[in-house]
Amino acid sequence: MIQFDQVEKRYGAHIALQHFSLSIPKGQVIGLLGQNGAGKSTAMKILTGCITPSSGHVFFQGQDILSASQHIRRQIGYLPENAPLYDEMTVQSYLTFACRLKGMPDAQIPAHIREIAEKTGIADVLSRRIGNLSRGYRQRTAFAQALCGNPALIVLDEPTQGLDPVQTAEFRALIRSLGKEHTVLFSSHILPDVEQVCDRAVILHQGKIITDKMLHTRSDKKLRCLIRMGEGRLLPALRTLRHAEKVEALPDHTTGETHVLITAKGDAPIEEELFTLLSSLQAPILRLAPQEDSLEDIFLRAANP
Amino acid sequence: MRAIFRRELQGYFFTPIGYVFVGVFLLLGGIFFGAGNLAERSGNMTYLLRNMSYLWMLLCPILTMRLFAGERSRGTDQMLLSSPVSLTSIVLGKFFAACTVMMITVVLTFTYPVLVILFGKLYFAETAATYLGFILQGGCFIALDILLTSLAHSQVTAAILAFGVNLAVWLSDAVATALHGHVAASVLSFFSLNQRFTPFAMGQISYANLLYSLLFMSAMLFLCVRILNRQRTQEE
Repeated sequence: MIQFDQVEKRYGAHIALQHFSLSIPKGQVIGLLGQNGAGKSTAMKILTGCITPSSGHVFFQGQDILSASQHIRRQIGYLPENAPLYDEMTVQSYLTFACRLKGMPDAQIPAHIREIAEKTGIADVLSRRIGNLSRGYRQRTAFAQALCGNPALIVLDEPTQGLDPVQTAEFRALIRSLGKEHTVLFSSHILPDVEQVCDRAVILHQGKIITDKMLHTRSDKKLRCLIRMGEGRLLPALRTLRHAEKVEALPDHTTGETHVLITAKGDAPIEEELFTLLSSLQAPILRLAPQEDSLEDIFLRAANP
Repeated sequence: MRAIFRRELQGYFFTPIGYVFVGVFLLLGGIFFGAGNLAERSGNMTYLLRNMSYLWMLLCPILTMRLFAGERSRGTDQMLLSSPVSLTSIVLGKFFAACTVMMITVVLTFTYPVLVILFGKLYFAETAATYLGFILQGGCFIALDILLTSLAHSQVTAAILAFGVNLAVWLSDAVATALHGHVAASVLSFFSLNQRFTPFAMGQISYANLLYSLLFMSAMLFLCVRILNRQRTQEE
């Protein structure tokens, strides 16, 4: 659905994005992670047409966003980092304006606003002035603006910033539910946001993609075990495991036990093979637990390479 | 463009800005009318409108300062830039909204000629021609100040910048007089908005000056679109 092709953005001597290539299929909820200045907002601004890339192309459903930008922008809902709100307007008139900007006929607007207001939980504040709303309602109103015109792609730049834990949880649920009907590109500093909401996480560092990881998959299965046997006998035997990609061992000479970390080939059923092998060696398994790299581990490794 | 126009027009009257502009304009206009027409028992609207034309220079920055600088400081510019509305439509929508507030003010000043009709004699043709020049001059100042607000990042900066440039445009007349005979004087006179108003204030509908005013507004708005487009490309 969206294809960033070797996109670069320079601000004078500073390169905000470099060799940025990313493909986003339809219906995916994708999280952009990175430290401040990593290039997340720049990528989003380019995609939404707020700024243009210095070089490279961005395609939306096969069309270059620069050549067909107005037609494409109709299909994109964008919530910038700073909620774009007019304090003097009521929520209803603000959303009406957002719908008109998307080119919706006036007759369809009231019903559409009611639907969006229900979805985002602002139905009871539609007649209130935005300037008088609490932080949570302001953010919801800005979020509702991004849904106006029922866009195919929703781009959310740090939507949970500044919200309390309850509001954050509600926002996560809302974004997750949007993923059923829309493609969602979403940036955050808060790792659990991305872990709980997204299908895929992309980590940026100094304008480059350094990790692109599918979440909620078992592709990187690792087993951490504690086995009562010396490393000398154990390690050669473990290396014969057919489903093992890598075996690392750390002996504990005081107890005669060995800590082992086994990385499986893909999602292979290595547990059964391991159990049979250790049983034949009469090596008791004292502890066995799956180990997955948390997003936090990946993020911290990426941030401090 | 209609969506932008309607929002901007609402924005003027949902905030004090529209009321301040209309109120201050009518207050100062009333003082000019009282001192120049009522006290002098004069039905000369040309003199009044000539004096009131100074108010465009003073008050147009209030009307335009929020148009782009305000959007930028609130972050709502990103909502507009990511919408399927062209930059030209955004600029025109804002320009026509500001011109509508200006026209509301102008219509309210019709009270003065009505008072003259009731208690004296009004020269309709001369007054109509002067009003046309007066409105065109107001439109030119609005277009110029919209261009300047697109360069600023805060409303205060936009207002100060617009006021300074308006004053310079106004003073260009005096500078041209001082440089009498010099080629620079001809150039300054050609670009002077006050000089363009003079024939209208004499009751003449000058097509050259009419065309000049329309071209001036178009040029300012075109430059504004180019500047916004360049900001989108460069973003500093």
